Amino acid sequence: MMSEHHGHHIASAKQLWGIGIALLILTVLTVTVAGLGLPSPFDILTAMAIALTKAFLVAAFFMGLYWDTKFNSMLLIGALAFFILMVSITLLDTLYRDDIVPSF
Amino acid sequence: MANHSATHPKHVHHHFVDSNQQFESAKLGMWVFLVNEILFFGGLFCAYIVFRAWYPELFTQAALELNTFWGAVNTVVLIGSSLTVAMAIRSAQNNQKRGLEINLLITILLACVFLVIKYFEYEHKLHLGIAPGSFWNPTPEIAAVLDHPKANIFFGIYYMMTAVHGLHVIIGIALMIWLYLRARKGHFNSEYYTPVEITGLYWHLVDLIWIFLFPLLYLIE
Repeated sequence: MMSEHHGHHIASAKQLWGIGIALLILTVLTVTVAGLGLPSPFDILTAMAIALTKAFLVAAFFMGLYWDTKFNSMLLIGALAFFILMVSITLLDTLYRDDIVPSF
Repeated sequence: MANHSATHPKHVHHHFVDSNQQFESAKLGMWVFLVNEILFFGGLFCAYIVFRAWYPELFTQAALELNTFWGAVNTVVLIGSSLTVAMAIRSAQNNQKRGLEINLLITILLACVFLVIKYFEYEHKLHLGIAPGSFWNPTPEIAAVLDHPKANIFFGIYYMMTAVHGLHVIIGIALMIWLYLRARKGHFNSEYYTPVEITGLYWHLVDLIWIFLFPLLYLIE
């Protein structure tokens, strides 16, 4: 639905409830998968895959990025890119220390 | 000036071309603030990643002290509040004053439920001496199961991340009360609901952060 004056998208109640229910199902799923006790790298990978899916649903539909100007999506993606950069550079130090700082 | 009021809606400031440009500018400003928020929490997530890489066994051991059930309940509570905020914006867009008020009230209520649950979680842990950093002073029963020398570090990260997140929830409640009072006075309609929209963006980010905190802190046993 577009108003005559400007192009604000109005999400339908059905859409919003659908996203809410999808988020609930994914929450149940992540708790269930955690209870299975998958071997080491796969437990965190599935948990993060589900969390990223939930985050995508919230950002795209609750925050309206799907209907919004692409510039706002770019800001979000940029923030995530710089976060990954920060973690990567930090890990280049901390993962390759002979001794973890003793007082830490 | 008479010409001004004849051509512009009352809420549009002089330096904007029209209502839509003002709305889009406010939203852009909020997204820039959210970028700042993501990188602010990013520092805490970075600390989490570094310490989990150093002490993986600590994280699986210490997470047993966190109650998955109440963490999951709080996840559902926050998802519900994100839904009601989205519905509040929809109500404003459709000129539904009553719907806007009710959805804001439910959001405030759910945010309070979140904080009450968080309070009882903190209270239970602090009672057992599970405190962050140098305040770490566990009861003998806890010390027997959680004998990792860096256990206080895990809870330092846990308390810092959840408390900063909780602070955002408190600020969110204050903003929602402000929105509710303005909504009651009839300040918002389909032509002007910018404060509802950008507070909604803020609230969804608070939900987003929790979406990651929940599996990273509670679901790793």
